[in-house]
Amino acid sequence: MAPILEVKDLNAGYGRFHILFDLNFKVDEKEILIVVGPNGSGKSTTLKAIFGIAKVYSGGIIYRGEDITRLPPHEKAKKGLAYLPQTNNVFAELTVEENLRMAGYTLPPDVVDERVRTVLESFPFLKSKLHDKAKSLSGGQRQLLAMAMTLIREPDLMMFDEPTAGLAPIAAKEVVEKILWLRNDLGKTIILVEQNAKLGLEIGDNALLLVSGRIAYYGSAKDLLANKDLGRLYLGLAK
Amino acid sequence: MAAGISLYFLMASIGYASALGLLSMGLSLTFVTTKVANFAHGTIAMIGGITTLFLIDRYMYNVKGLPLFVTSALAGFIIAGVTAVVLYLVILKPLADRGSDVIGLMIATFAIDIMLQSILSMILNLAHGKHFPKLFGASVQSWDVTLNCCGTQIAESHVFLPVAAIILTILFHLFLTKTKFGIAMRATIENPDLAEVMGVNTKAVYTISWFISGALAGLAGALLVFSLKDTSPNNSNLIIVSIFAGSILGGLGNVYWGLIGGFLIGLAEKLGTQLLNLFYNNYLAPSLHLPPFSFVNYEKLMSLGLVIIVLLTAPQGLAGIDWGGLLSRMGLKTARSRKPEREV
Amino acid sequence: MIQNPFTETWILLVLVYIIVTISLNLEAGFTGIPNFGKAVFVFMGAWAAQGIGIRLAAYLLEKTDPGLAAEALKHLQEIGIGTYKSLVQAAGDTDANRIVVTSYIYPYFQHHLALAALLFTAVLAIALALSAAMGLFASFAAVRLREEYLAILLLSFSELMVMVIFQQTTSLNGGPQGIWAMRFGSNGLRTALILAAVFAAITFLYAEKLANSPMGRAMRAVRDDEIAAGVYGRDVARIRLKVIMVSSMIAALAGLAFIQATPSTVSMGFDRVKWTFFPWAYLILGGMANNVGAVLGTVIFLILQRLVQLLPVYISGTSTTIMTIIPYLSNILVGVIIILVLYFRPQGILPEKPSKTVDFHRILVEEGE
Repeated sequence: MAPILEVKDLNAGYGRFHILFDLNFKVDEKEILIVVGPNGSGKSTTLKAIFGIAKVYSGGIIYRGEDITRLPPHEKAKKGLAYLPQTNNVFAELTVEENLRMAGYTLPPDVVDERVRTVLESFPFLKSKLHDKAKSLSGGQRQLLAMAMTLIREPDLMMFDEPTAGLAPIAAKEVVEKILWLRNDLGKTIILVEQNAKLGLEIGDNALLLVSGRIAYYGSAKDLLANKDLGRLYLGLAK
Repeated sequence: MAAGISLYFLMASIGYASALGLLSMGLSLTFVTTKVANFAHGTIAMIGGITTLFLIDRYMYNVKGLPLFVTSALAGFIIAGVTAVVLYLVILKPLADRGSDVIGLMIATFAIDIMLQSILSMILNLAHGKHFPKLFGASVQSWDVTLNCCGTQIAESHVFLPVAAIILTILFHLFLTKTKFGIAMRATIENPDLAEVMGVNTKAVYTISWFISGALAGLAGALLVFSLKDTSPNNSNLIIVSIFAGSILGGLGNVYWGLIGGFLIGLAEKLGTQLLNLFYNNYLAPSLHLPPFSFVNYEKLMSLGLVIIVLLTAPQGLAGIDWGGLLSRMGLKTARSRKPEREV
Repeated sequence: MIQNPFTETWILLVLVYIIVTISLNLEAGFTGIPNFGKAVFVFMGAWAAQGIGIRLAAYLLEKTDPGLAAEALKHLQEIGIGTYKSLVQAAGDTDANRIVVTSYIYPYFQHHLALAALLFTAVLAIALALSAAMGLFASFAAVRLREEYLAILLLSFSELMVMVIFQQTTSLNGGPQGIWAMRFGSNGLRTALILAAVFAAITFLYAEKLANSPMGRAMRAVRDDEIAAGVYGRDVARIRLKVIMVSSMIAALAGLAFIQATPSTVSMGFDRVKWTFFPWAYLILGGMANNVGAVLGTVIFLILQRLVQLLPVYISGTSTTIMTIIPYLSNILVGVIIILVLYFRPQGILPEKPSKTVDFHRILVEEGE
């Protein structure tokens, strides 16, 4: 089976700041790919480059056999890619309902109604907060709202940028469980950038370890978790 | 204290304050969307004023009061709105896309202001006997209608202005909260990058915000001319001071507070000055043996004074004040457990 | 008949505007302060000679030659202008001012040079102090805030001063009718030219020296990144205030020189188009943060504006309609040029030079020792 996403010789960065060097990896349908690495190694930039926010200097991004390297973000969104930024991923001044409707901005109104209803079934806590402003939600709730918003557009490939950062352990666990549910129950393909390497590697199929913008490890997540040298060197994993 | 302030003057103050509210709201709108402090906003309002002159001269010489107000308000709304859009798309947006900084954009609106004023002045100058033959020498005030109300007289435009302002504010609020595009506008104001990711055409949002801003200004200007002594485009030189004062009082980053700020500045300039005048000349001066002094010509200083006070005490303006906390401290409301996070 | 278009009056404008544009360059170019209220600071220099200088002159005359002062007051009464308690009062009143000034004060000080020198020093000191104080007052509320606030406050302050306070308060400088300013020397235009030339030279040299001093680097740091400047221990607000006060003093020099040639200019004559917008235009064309550029921009623009002004002289059979719209066309032209420059060459004709620092080689050698 052909991979859903293929990244070939990717070189990317911001303006003159070259951050990623010759990345090669692929993601299969219903796979969870975990991207780990020390601070500043280019984890977030990888997602941004795939989604078209960071600048791609050379290389290719193939989605379902189609070259989407140069497409603008909203075109990629239409093709089924979704990207959740780490922060500012909901509109704090808008109500929860308005946030969900914004997520379906490009869809016909009746489809949005339908999907909002569906999504609310999966995120029941949002039902009672539909008319509250998003800024009144807690950090974990906001991440879940952002996830719900992404689901409105029914993407196939979802990219999360450190969704557990700054969350209390219990809230982080809830978010990670929701990500597993996305794959297991909804059949989504997921690329997850995670600063908590252990948490991420435990749920991941494959792992990509970035060090200074280059791939230091690419393979099974379980193996990386077991690899004491790499784990100690770059991920702060206990022996 | 009410002694000495006629109902006519009270209504005139409210009318002026309403116009200023619309102007400050429009100024705040383009500031929060496109980050441009528009120094040409007063002159865009004067486009509405000149539109009224044109209408009276050409088509509505024998029409007075309400029908004239509605027509000129609509015409001013459209013409000034379109002008603002053209200015944004032809001048400001290309400059912003080229990476002009805040100062560059401000000086560009400054240049736009001078150019617009020159064009309007040219039209009026050429108009001597040519373009506005009927209006020559006549005051626009005489196209207003005097109403008899409560045993005294008031001007119809002073009633029409606040009513129009209230209707427009309600419509604008409904637009922002009930329509898809309005919600997208609020979303764009808060986080343009995320809105774009959601598929919002932020460029369209910016363009529409310039239309609304210009249109509100044109409407306010079209009705304000009925209370101006002269209709020179130079009026905008001082009006812009009051508009900015209103926006700063509102916090410069919030549309609704901009409206309230503008309204309060308008009241302070007219009513506030008049009250000060009465208080000083009727109470203070006689009791302290000070010479009488007329503050009436210095009403604009109210704006400057308020701006300085706001900048020194609460630079975030009215929008930055924790009203909930204030009320709870006053014992009017139970304190909220969680303090809402500051708007970005 | 076509006369030489670049007359002495035009040269005076060039010199005066060079002063104003360089002073704006210190604020906008080097420090990133959007001073949209330049006009009032130029006016302060003029008013020092107008509202204050002329009364001071009358006072000095009264003290040094009471007989002549009495004669002047008698004269006023005889020709039916009015009765005045003192020459100071007459000098400050619109109706009497012109007669007192032209027939008594001007000639008196032309014959008492030591007294004139004393008066000039006083007027100069007042102009500088007044303008600096105004600069402080106009900006202190916003120096800690973002640029927009500073721009709005300075514009509002200038407009209200020029168009409301000095326009409405007749006792300050005659209000809408105006009063004549104290003029030094018998030929106002020549005095103005000499003063403007000297002031312009001093201003240019001072600005160049300042730009290459540690203060100049601190100013650039504030402009480029006020947070970083703050981190490195620069008090951003203090630097801004200092620059505004110094620049306001320089702008006042321009006003003081200019009023010598046109002593009856009222406050409304110092409008924002001429005295705020034009200097901005000149600066943007010439190049922000480059003093030579500021001079160049001023000269080029003034040549252009002069040519537009003279357009009807060269076009035969010009109608009066064209004559009336020429000033407006000139303003529109300035606006268009500004926007084109901002778009196509935002750095201006002469871009900013890297600031002169100690020779790198020398630092290395000294380090090695």
